[in-house]
Amino acid sequence: MFGMSNRRKIVSWFMLLLMIVAVAELALGQRRARVVSVRTQSVPISFDDFHGYTGTADYLKRVAQVYPGITELVEIGKSTLERPIYVLVISNMKTGTTIDAHVELRNMRKENVKNVIPMKPYQGKPGHWICGSTHGNEFTGTEVCLYTINKLVSGYGSDPEITKLVDDNTFYICPIVNPDGVFNSVERDISQRQNSELKDNDGDGKINEDGPDDLNGDGHITQFRYRDSEGQYVIDDVDPRLMVRLQRGQETDKQRYSVVTEDRDNDGDGRRGEDGESGIDLNRNFPEGWMRDDGLPGGSGLYATSAPETHAICEFFTNHTNILMAQFYHTSGGFTYRPIGTEADTGIAPRDLAVLDFIMGKKYLEMIGEEVPEAWLHPEDIDKFKAEMEAAGANQYDILRGYKPPRGWRPSYNEQADRRYSYGMATSWAYKQFGAYSITTELWNSRKDMKGIPEFTGADANVQRERASLKYQDEQFGGKFFIPWTRFTHPELGPGEIGGWIPKYRGGNAFPGESLEGVCQTHCDFELFRAGLMPKVVVADAQAKVLYTVDAGQAQVIQQNNQVTISKNQAQGEIKIVEVTATIENVGKLPTHLERGDRLAGNRQDVVWLVTDRDKVTFLEGGVFQQLGVLDGTVEIPGYTPAQPDQAAAPAGMGQFNPQMMQQMMQGQRGQFNQQQMQQMMQQMGQRQGGQRQQQVLTGQRQRGQQRGQRGQRGQAAQEQTPPPPNQRQVRWLIAVEGDVPLKVIASSQRGGTDLQELTIR
Amino acid sequence: MKSKLFFLLIFACAALMLTVFVEPTSAQKKRQDNPGGYHGELDFPISWKRYYSYAEWVELMHKMAQQYPQLCDIESIGKSRMGREQYLLTITAKETGPHSEKTAMWVDGAVHGNEVNGITCSLYVAWYLLTRYDYDPYIFEMLNRTTFYILPGLNVDANESFVSWPNNPNNPREPYRPEDNDGDGLYDEDQTEDVDGDGQLSTMYIEDPEGTLTLSEDGRQFVPIVNGVTNNGLRFRRIGSEGYDNDGDGRMNEDDIGGPDPNRNYPSGWNLSAGWPYTMSEPCTRNAFNFMLAHPNIFAGYHYHNTGRLIMFTTPPRPMPGEGQTTAQAPPTPTTQPGQRQRGQRQQQQQVTTPPVQQQLATPPVQQRGQRGQRQQQQQVTTPPVQQQVPPVGQRGQRGQRGQQQQIAVAEEEAPVVTNKYAYTLDREVRAGYEEDKAALEKLVSVGNRILRNYRPSPSASGGSGQAQAATYDMLGAYGILIELWGTPTFDIDLNDDGRASQEEMQDWIDIDLTGEGWVWPHKAQHPDFGEIWIGGTQKKHTQRTPPARYIEMEAYKNAHFVLYNASQFPQVEIEEVKITPCTADLCWVEVTVKNDKIYPTYSDRRFELGKAVPDKLTFNASDNISLVDMPAPETTVTARAAAAAAGARGGRGGGFGGRGGGFNPKAEQLAWINQYFAGRREGTVLTQPEHEFRLKGNDKHTFRYLVKIDGRRGWVEINLASELGGKDQKRVTINVNN
Repeated sequence: MFGMSNRRKIVSWFMLLLMIVAVAELALGQRRARVVSVRTQSVPISFDDFHGYTGTADYLKRVAQVYPGITELVEIGKSTLERPIYVLVISNMKTGTTIDAHVELRNMRKENVKNVIPMKPYQGKPGHWICGSTHGNEFTGTEVCLYTINKLVSGYGSDPEITKLVDDNTFYICPIVNPDGVFNSVERDISQRQNSELKDNDGDGKINEDGPDDLNGDGHITQFRYRDSEGQYVIDDVDPRLMVRLQRGQETDKQRYSVVTEDRDNDGDGRRGEDGESGIDLNRNFPEGWMRDDGLPGGSGLYATSAPETHAICEFFTNHTNILMAQFYHTSGGFTYRPIGTEADTGIAPRDLAVLDFIMGKKYLEMIGEEVPEAWLHPEDIDKFKAEMEAAGANQYDILRGYKPPRGWRPSYNEQADRRYSYGMATSWAYKQFGAYSITTELWNSRKDMKGIPEFTGADANVQRERASLKYQDEQFGGKFFIPWTRFTHPELGPGEIGGWIPKYRGGNAFPGESLEGVCQTHCDFELFRAGLMPKVVVADAQAKVLYTVDAGQAQVIQQNNQVTISKNQAQGEIKIVEVTATIENVGKLPTHLERGDRLAGNRQDVVWLVTDRDKVTFLEGGVFQQLGVLDGTVEIPGYTPAQPDQAAAPAGMGQFNPQMMQQMMQGQRGQFNQQQMQQMMQQMGQRQGGQRQQQVLTGQRQRGQQRGQRGQRGQAAQEQTPPPPNQRQVRWLIAVEGDVPLKVIASSQRGGTDLQELTIR
Repeated sequence: MKSKLFFLLIFACAALMLTVFVEPTSAQKKRQDNPGGYHGELDFPISWKRYYSYAEWVELMHKMAQQYPQLCDIESIGKSRMGREQYLLTITAKETGPHSEKTAMWVDGAVHGNEVNGITCSLYVAWYLLTRYDYDPYIFEMLNRTTFYILPGLNVDANESFVSWPNNPNNPREPYRPEDNDGDGLYDEDQTEDVDGDGQLSTMYIEDPEGTLTLSEDGRQFVPIVNGVTNNGLRFRRIGSEGYDNDGDGRMNEDDIGGPDPNRNYPSGWNLSAGWPYTMSEPCTRNAFNFMLAHPNIFAGYHYHNTGRLIMFTTPPRPMPGEGQTTAQAPPTPTTQPGQRQRGQRQQQQQVTTPPVQQQLATPPVQQRGQRGQRQQQQQVTTPPVQQQVPPVGQRGQRGQRGQQQQIAVAEEEAPVVTNKYAYTLDREVRAGYEEDKAALEKLVSVGNRILRNYRPSPSASGGSGQAQAATYDMLGAYGILIELWGTPTFDIDLNDDGRASQEEMQDWIDIDLTGEGWVWPHKAQHPDFGEIWIGGTQKKHTQRTPPARYIEMEAYKNAHFVLYNASQFPQVEIEEVKITPCTADLCWVEVTVKNDKIYPTYSDRRFELGKAVPDKLTFNASDNISLVDMPAPETTVTARAAAAAAGARGGRGGGFGGRGGGFNPKAEQLAWINQYFAGRREGTVLTQPEHEFRLKGNDKHTFRYLVKIDGRRGWVEINLASELGGKDQKRVTINVNN
């Protein structure tokens, strides 16, 4: 009874509190957004250990719950084993708009197909994709993602720089691309680079029946060591917990051991661990360069995007055309692969190369503390550096660029052997086929980034580092990363001991704690630097001016020789002839597309709409929407001279275009050409080699659409005497208006954001 | 009255009994090869002179599965973008084995949403197989050894829209992925509309004093104004296809339901420009291709499209750069008709060049080659006496003989060389190692040419920029054929042969051939963007890309026939004969002739290059007293090993044979004699291992020889031939030795 009344009391108090909150919310209204500014970190996170799949999923859900105003958690697909793949969207959800929210469609087809999903407001801002753990055992990237999320959500409202980034941009953070691989690598201690597949690896009719096992039930899969006269390991003299691998052919008086993964033969076929979950390498399953030049499969999987994880990423990008920056974290090495891996640097557009190397690469090298090439510091003298390279007999690509790629920021293409790095990689795809500044950072340079232990050199550097690491984890982590050797009798191998490093703390990932946090901080900061380069399209200085007012009635004119009779119908009210002008400007740093970005299939130019009441407005000059091309950014791109616009626009080159070469190219037999031919072809195409140009050649239907679009562009009044700066466009409409109507000038750029200005007619 | 009723009752009873008792007998008699006989079409009545909506065609498929449960299963292979199930029929005679263990034909239709003729054509294949199984020995044999996977409408969302809604010939073509065709930032926002609500899309005109068109005298069509003569002063301007300006940009229908071309969405030769956004991005294509990948028994695939009367087929890849002239170009001698329809296995003699001959001793080698369809399936051979048969000399020269083998047999006469106007030769180089695929496709297309009559072969390059038929071949190693069904009216109505259909010719076609169907009489209509307009002219749908319904059946039958012919040529391995010939007193040759009479090799060259091919396997087995002897080559030193010992030492594959009886070790002089005896006379491949892997090509025959030692008086030899996609055969010979 006592409990009951007490509970009732609590409930009524709670209700009262709710009412107060509700009233306060109503009263404060607009000011609520600013309340965020005093909020401190609300979802605590630590980097003293890896989060794994479960920890990451939990964290994401909590963040989405605590920060509804700036986050949205999206499940973009499921792994083979049905684990959700999450993307956390971070952006100020109260701002942003998209063009489809403003254009009223009418008299739609009765079939009423609902295939188009309305866009979210955050899709009207430049998008920044950051993901980790495409390879399941390279989970340092997941931690960097989580660190970045924490920095953004907790810094929003308090840190003006972060607040601006979150207001202006949309971050799509996918900490784990490969849930099954991470789950196995972190939660189960089974290092798994690939995704999981339901596949019978050993052909015994059973699926995934023989992977590693936690034999002694201590919750970890570590190692099993046993005395073996043929063994390759001995116990370390200094720290007897360590097993030291003998050199090939090295003699020893000590007891030899064999060290194997903690595992047994589950299916009794005489082999251990021959049919685990491991499936395909997801970073070879993307569509760019998946096929070999001879038309046989080159990448992983049954076809490009055959894996559910890859499929989810490609589908997400396709539906989020605002993504301009992309980062695919991997480990290890402590350097960044910039595009592209499937082609030499001749396949990268000059402006993109300049942005990637001279702007992003330079900053990255500074941040990781490596030397910036001389040419990057003086890109204006690039011709001089090119001559130097040529004189020094450098590689052809070094001569072409004017510098050798530095260790810390490099293309993945193998320039020495003039060979592609591999087939079907995500970064190449996102650059080449989607049109994003995509990079892959190989996180964690164990030599440089490991904190708390000195740098070792010499022949036994590895052993020394191992001993020091062990000691370090004893002191800093209470020894919980290393399982002491305990006796165990293996069902097949007999007596021995189970123990050793828990595998996830060794190998290619950052050491938890300050080392991991250091890696996170550097790379988070670098991505925020990149986010700061985003374009931002705004409608500046829009005006509607009444030129004159006319009678809306109709008149008939009859002329007989010199006699003219005008008979007016009844007056029908006034029509205003209105001139609408606006300046569309990109106030962000980079252009709104990659150099060939707007011509890739699925992409488009920036456009501006004049949205009005259709029943009361007639367009006299200027279409309802006008194409603006691609707006440059405010930053002058170092070392890059834009091609003459006349050349770029002239389709003259197409006349001499060799259709046979095109046909072969269509067949994906690119490898048949030498670089010279490729370059020649590109020149012939007048640097319009992107997707839509090819489309025009291929399909008449699209060609027509495209031409119509261009006609609209030509009609615009932007062809004035003095061209505006390249990051601006002047637009003008002449409209006839009945009565008073609202006018909206809306600039819509795929990657550069959408901005709106409402006008009243003066 | 009463007696009448009584008689009626008796009559009814008798009829009932008759049905009950006679039925089984007549069921047995159903199967007949009488061209005038009944073939079961009324067992499942269906109209082939109309198009079916999604709901209707799916219902038909379910009914097929219901009515023919012993032959047909229905399943959904997944959902389309808009959530429609993609139903597929699996058709095979279940009692002869599960579908997955038989060589299979894939048939899909209408990957392009608007090309709905493919739906009816693939449904027709299913219906033809199901209804005729009990009646037609050809279909009976085929379903006993072959599986058909039939997916009538691949692009279900667009298919349904095209059939059930007013549309023009080209839309909706793509799956329903939103696409911004006009670059205005909006997706699929300006589609076509049926302005006058008559269920058809036609053409809009507006009265305009500056217009250049007027109405014809009969008021039936809009015609150019000649010499300023107008019909009642009416002048028109053409606006365009029916529709509204939905987004207010001054244009109509400029951003229809879009998305990537689904037939540029497949992985082989895929490129972004044609196949945006990525390979297999569309649920409908992905589901279909995943199904194909999961069924490695698929040997060939048909993909139905409209329009143009084309037999497109994926050719083997071109030579690699730097690869020289690798294949001897087939001389442009006309190929002859490669075999007629085989009515069951009993009458394979049809392909034989010479009239059926008895087993002859010392037949001249040339005739020997022609011994293909030997009737004797079982051979009881005893030794001695042994037929001392001259080994056929030309066995290895198989390829050169194909032309001859394909000649039509004219009973009891010299077969004249008939020039075949349908013969097709692929005039392009193919990559080394792809000769068999080239040869098989040439033969297949030649017959397709014949069956479809006015269709034109059109090789489509391997790589094929993301087309389905290319992926079928390139990635599955299954032969990929794309049929462009029917032809635009141009094919039939171009009376003056100027290569185009003029307005008058079109009008005649509608009046005469279509008896007036497909025309919209010019009439006024209200348009929200233009006010009063006129609409008239041809109906857009089913007059251009897809045939008028009356032609569906005509198209469906011959195309089904081509699919069936193709399936009939799936490889079928046979052991033609197992012959024992003496060598010495206790050594014998076991001579095994295996063959594949079909056009297709047991696996494609492509399947081999993809690493997916499983070689054909010949297995020797024998009673304990018969052991294999390893024959040294004549020029080697005379040392002998017993095959059994050798097999044991080498750990011979499978271990099914070997290690028996402690081995055979003939005397050196005996071996020398053997060598002498057979030097230069050994035809066929001598095998010393009980298991041998090889490949039977199309229209191929091989002879293998085993040297065996026989102890005792009687024994047996059993030969097994197994091919992953070409079936199995077995022959067993009992041997009696008389001293």
